[in-house]
Amino acid sequence: MRVEIAKTGVKDLRKITDIIKSILIFKEPKEVEKFVLEEDKNEDGNSSTKEKSTKKEANSEPGSTQKRENWVTSIMTAPFVIDKEKKGGEKGDKDENSKKESKNSKNQKDNISKKISENLDYIKKKYSIPTNGDIVLREFDITVKDRTISAFAVFIDGMTDRMVINHAILQPLLMLSNLDIKGNPNELGEYIKKHLLPQGQLNIFNTFEKVISEVNFGGCAVFIDGLDVAFTADVKGWEHRGVERPNTELVIRGPQEGFTEVLRVNTALVRKILKDEDLIVENVEIGRRSKTPCSMLYIKDIANEKLVNEVRRRLKSIKIDYLQDSGELEQLIEDSTILHTPQMIDTERPDRVASMLAEGKVAVIVNGSPFALVMPATATELFRSAEDSYVRFPYGNFFKFIRIIGLFITLLLPGFYIATINYHVEMIPTDLLLAIEASRERVPFPSIVEILILEISFELIREAGIRIPGPIGPTLGIIGALILGQAAVAANIVSPILIIVVAVTGIGSFSIPSFSLAFSLRVLRFGYILLGTLAGFLGFTTGLFIHLVTLVNAKSFGVPFMVPIGPRTSDRYIDDIVRAPVWKQEKRPDYLNTKDVRKQPHISRGWVRDENRGDKENE
Amino acid sequence: MEKSNFRIFSLILISVIICTMITGCFDRREVDELAYVMAIGLDKGKTNDIKMTLQMAVPLAFGSGNEGGGEGDKSVLVTTIETPSIVSGLNITNNFLSKQINLSHAKVIVFSEELAREGIQKYINSLERFRDVRGNTYLVVSKGSAEEYLRSVKPVLEVNPAKFFELNLTSYRYTSYTAGSQLLDFFLQQSSSGSQAVVTLAATGKYESSDEFSLNGSTYKEKGRDNPLEGDFKAGNIPRVGDIKSEIMGVAVFDGGKMVGELDGEETSNYLIINGKFKNFYFTLPDPLFDEEYVVLNINSGRSPGFRVNMVDEKPIIDLNIRLEGDIISIQSGENYEDLDKLPILERAVEEFMKKDMLKFLYKTSREFNCDICGFGKEMKKKFIDWNEWEKFNWPSKYKNAEFNVNIDFKIRRPGLIVQSVPVYTTEGEKVMPSD
Amino acid sequence: MRIGEIKRMNNKIRFGTWESVTIMLILFCTQIFLSFPRTMAEGAGNAGWILVIYITVIVLVLFAIMSKLYSRFEGMDIIDISEYLAGNVGRVIAGTVFIVYLVSILSIVLREYAENVKTVSLPSTPIVYIMGFFAISMIVGAYAGIEALVRTSAISVPIIAFAFFIIILGVSQYYDITNLFPILGTGAKDIFIEGIPKISFFSAISILFFMSPFIRTHKSFKSVGYISITIAGILLTFSTLAYMLVFPYPASLENILPIYSLARLINYGRFFQRIEALFVVIWDTVAMLYLSTGLFFTVYIFKKTFKLVYYKPLIIPFTIIILGLSLIPQSYMAVVEIENMYFRKIVLAVSFGFIIIIMSAALLFKKMQKRRK
Repeated sequence: MRVEIAKTGVKDLRKITDIIKSILIFKEPKEVEKFVLEEDKNEDGNSSTKEKSTKKEANSEPGSTQKRENWVTSIMTAPFVIDKEKKGGEKGDKDENSKKESKNSKNQKDNISKKISENLDYIKKKYSIPTNGDIVLREFDITVKDRTISAFAVFIDGMTDRMVINHAILQPLLMLSNLDIKGNPNELGEYIKKHLLPQGQLNIFNTFEKVISEVNFGGCAVFIDGLDVAFTADVKGWEHRGVERPNTELVIRGPQEGFTEVLRVNTALVRKILKDEDLIVENVEIGRRSKTPCSMLYIKDIANEKLVNEVRRRLKSIKIDYLQDSGELEQLIEDSTILHTPQMIDTERPDRVASMLAEGKVAVIVNGSPFALVMPATATELFRSAEDSYVRFPYGNFFKFIRIIGLFITLLLPGFYIATINYHVEMIPTDLLLAIEASRERVPFPSIVEILILEISFELIREAGIRIPGPIGPTLGIIGALILGQAAVAANIVSPILIIVVAVTGIGSFSIPSFSLAFSLRVLRFGYILLGTLAGFLGFTTGLFIHLVTLVNAKSFGVPFMVPIGPRTSDRYIDDIVRAPVWKQEKRPDYLNTKDVRKQPHISRGWVRDENRGDKENE
Repeated sequence: MEKSNFRIFSLILISVIICTMITGCFDRREVDELAYVMAIGLDKGKTNDIKMTLQMAVPLAFGSGNEGGGEGDKSVLVTTIETPSIVSGLNITNNFLSKQINLSHAKVIVFSEELAREGIQKYINSLERFRDVRGNTYLVVSKGSAEEYLRSVKPVLEVNPAKFFELNLTSYRYTSYTAGSQLLDFFLQQSSSGSQAVVTLAATGKYESSDEFSLNGSTYKEKGRDNPLEGDFKAGNIPRVGDIKSEIMGVAVFDGGKMVGELDGEETSNYLIINGKFKNFYFTLPDPLFDEEYVVLNINSGRSPGFRVNMVDEKPIIDLNIRLEGDIISIQSGENYEDLDKLPILERAVEEFMKKDMLKFLYKTSREFNCDICGFGKEMKKKFIDWNEWEKFNWPSKYKNAEFNVNIDFKIRRPGLIVQSVPVYTTEGEKVMPSD
Repeated sequence: MRIGEIKRMNNKIRFGTWESVTIMLILFCTQIFLSFPRTMAEGAGNAGWILVIYITVIVLVLFAIMSKLYSRFEGMDIIDISEYLAGNVGRVIAGTVFIVYLVSILSIVLREYAENVKTVSLPSTPIVYIMGFFAISMIVGAYAGIEALVRTSAISVPIIAFAFFIIILGVSQYYDITNLFPILGTGAKDIFIEGIPKISFFSAISILFFMSPFIRTHKSFKSVGYISITIAGILLTFSTLAYMLVFPYPASLENILPIYSLARLINYGRFFQRIEALFVVIWDTVAMLYLSTGLFFTVYIFKKTFKLVYYKPLIIPFTIIILGLSLIPQSYMAVVEIENMYFRKIVLAVSFGFIIIIMSAALLFKKMQKRRK
């Protein structure tokens, strides 16, 4: 007994020393090759075109199902809580990870058989058909020449467009098949596909897996007796929100369309603006259960190859159960999780996505989320609102300047105020100082407590304001701010000048176009308050310095975050801080190392003629 | 293992941070824990070296949204103590005052004449070194006692005594009867080996009612005038009564740290003109053609004055070239001076008048005070190559034999709103000059 | 093997010309905010500004000599050259010399800046607390690496220069041109002969030779050197000139912080009066950049000298060493005396003399080797 206690005691001691050692001793860093966006030597995109096209075709062929399964196999061996003992084929419980085993032996069991009854049973078991209320199983017969072949269709009610199923699948198979068949009746599958099913998007599969995933996403599967393949038609049609105004990025001048939750609608909105055949919309599926379809958009002969490959690599290497929203995706593929600034731009506006694609960036749209992610992001991009290009030149820069002031106010003003009031009183003009002191005279708290109270209550009001229902919502925001503030002043809990400081800070944070950045600043503000109260301007400066140094070190997809200011790239491209007029923006951003650098010729306004040169128009 | 590592590490980090937060904030003073001194007065003390008067602002008087602040009385708090030195006095005061004294907003430091004549160098030194007191603080020498002066300052037009001092003591920009004597100016001029310093003169008004006005303190007789002009007074003698008891006029002349004399308002304007610090002022001139009438002009500096200093037989000969411009403000006699023929008469008259006064002023500084307050020595410095030679030259000893030549060039630019004075008709129906 | 290491280093980090210029400016111009104008006034009376121009010219000439000697060794820094010259022994000696130099100047500057902050803004705070803030920013800066520091300085230097010009122009109402006369101050001998040791204020030029592997070509290296010395000379001259125009000669010897005294005077009307506290932000930023860069180079040189693999674990121990050293002098006056009496004289030998000697010796060595072949 004692020996045991002693032994455990020694073990604990060793454990503690191990812990201390591991904290204090320097660990060699693992050599991870970080992604750096370098110049692409490839000037013409011909070779890459071929690559892309072959990849696309490969995706849609049935033979590629093998490849995709191997890819699926590879990511399944992740260190998740996967129970490899579960047999595949045991169904019904979607909660456990039984569905996703894909050892090779299972594949053969999941092949569609020629006998329709087996298929029917399999489908019934898989979908728990009587229990599962919204799966529709429609059995029917096809008459071909003299034979009657039984078939059935499977689809999920509510996810499919019933009209299309009736018209394009059931009707032709039921009725039109009475026509004469020309050709070999043995090639029934091809015949049915090519002649009888007038649906636009039609696939032929020979494993259940593919069929089931299609049906899950709003397809309709048709099984025909005697064929060991099944047809799936894409008949998606569920209720969704129409294209409305974007909720978060409102502009005065510019289109008022925003993304919705449907992937195809979103990509269509982007394609509507960039009618370019080089705009590639690549499909990626993320998430084992949710199988969320995502699209990666880029313009093939502008975007840097390495950037595109890197984005694709990151997207494909994600192993996760459910992917709900682009916010989660952002956190999964960003470079640094704890860096306070966002490393991707999230936007709800298709016109912004289109303009950023035209600069050479890559966009990712996730099904189910109206926010698209555009990467890489730099500090100056986060400041651009959608209106900057639509508004005329004289005042376009003025607004940007105001926004930058808003940024500095929201980050630095409370800390600056605290540092000044507590440490550097001599800096304030005497009149103002006496007024401040008079108003603070009756307040029982020290300044730091006061400011923390006010800041936290401001954040509370903000959070509450989002969730307050209906008509009370906006009113309570205003009332809360004004009346509560006024009452607090009258009750001598806070001083009026502090209300102004906090209100201006809040307003400044609303002026920042990227609300992700605004969130981060709201949090950092507290850090500055803390530093300002610890050591006055010295602490404030330390905070600024550390902030700046970490920002400068940050990278977003291989591009340094502070790029036009940090490393000085070629200074022809001035649209970073001060926007040039539209006709002067001739080149794409240098840091993206795009394939095609020039986007406008030197004279982009053909009507401006130079006498010596006569009529020179743009290309 | 890694998780618990991280946890322990973060625990240690947090506790370190909390420890700094507990012990930190050494210099943190809340705004309402400090008492802000607006003015410091220094007198010769009876029981100790100096008697220090502190005038502090009471912020409650000008809070917003509170019950209306009190009368002017309530906005300042004045205390007087005796102490060996300035900062020791702060020590004593902190003992009975509830808040800690903060000198960083002190606007004015008042020395009494007695103290100034003894020498204020030691106090200037300590003010230089102490970080709280800024160079923008005004210095004032008061003719009576500093305490009396400070107690008499009860600002009526504003609530904040700091504002009162700031505005009052910069009034030289438009009256030119005092000089801008900030601590910084004093220090710079004093430490420059080519000039000496002046300090504004202040006092409390001595007249209780307008019947008591007398010309005893005026200097007009010394200047050979029949009637006193408004600049011929020093602080304390100005013929005025009113709610505001404190007044400033004239400057005190310092040699090193000791006060050696005073100048009245008009001489101070000459000083400002020569020094190049002159902005503008209203100048009253006896009418050249009509006695008993005055012409008032608004004079401002045309160009900065130029002077040359030459040494002839160990005596400095100083030639001054002063250019001024002016606008006519009032011609009491109605004489049509705006006419281009008559304009030179006025200009000449001004030039003569000012030249006379300026020469008197210059000889006063040279012979009587031996104090080069106008900074002629700085011009002299240009002639030397080396600092050692300059020191050997010893300018201050040479100044008392200086000879001056003044050349004033005055031009009238604008006549105000009236471009031609026409005579006034009376009931007799004749054209009459107003002065007849 | 040595060339290979250099190449791998070179592939990773590269600076542009402007960025290198700004970091050298920070290294040269830290002294402006400490005691440089006053030291110039001590040296030459009110001809201090002439002294500054004189020093700049001398340093330019010296740099021309040094860069010519360096042109054969492009891409190698001093440690590599010493190794080439004398093998391991040379490398260790050169490395130790520079490490000692850097550590001592860093501790002096740290102490002076902390004392300044204490005098100016935080009188009752213990000095260790203030140094703690500087130390934290030093550590973070050094961890971030030279690339981040160079970029940060590229961003901050224009802002700092702008604020500096605000100070200089803001006191223009107090300028008195007669304060510059007598023109030669305390004498030509003082300026031209005794002023020569004052080139030690440009001793940071030796850091440029450590930075050279990071700069792209020898041409850029030369222009970085010339441009930074010229601009630094201009800034130093302006600061000294402004100081002397405002404060007449014997009084200019009094102020402990010349630029702070200048900043205190800014007074435009009743409102725009008391902004010297804002300038504390500028000075602290310059100090932190200087200290971080210095610490990075110390650790980097140490790693190179003793052929270690990682430099990051050395950062914290070196910071502690520097902190400890900076607390040794008993008072601010003692620090100033140490700096003026001992340090300035030694640093001349190290930064200029040593480099020149090593490079000329290595050049001779190379020639001898060629002759043998």
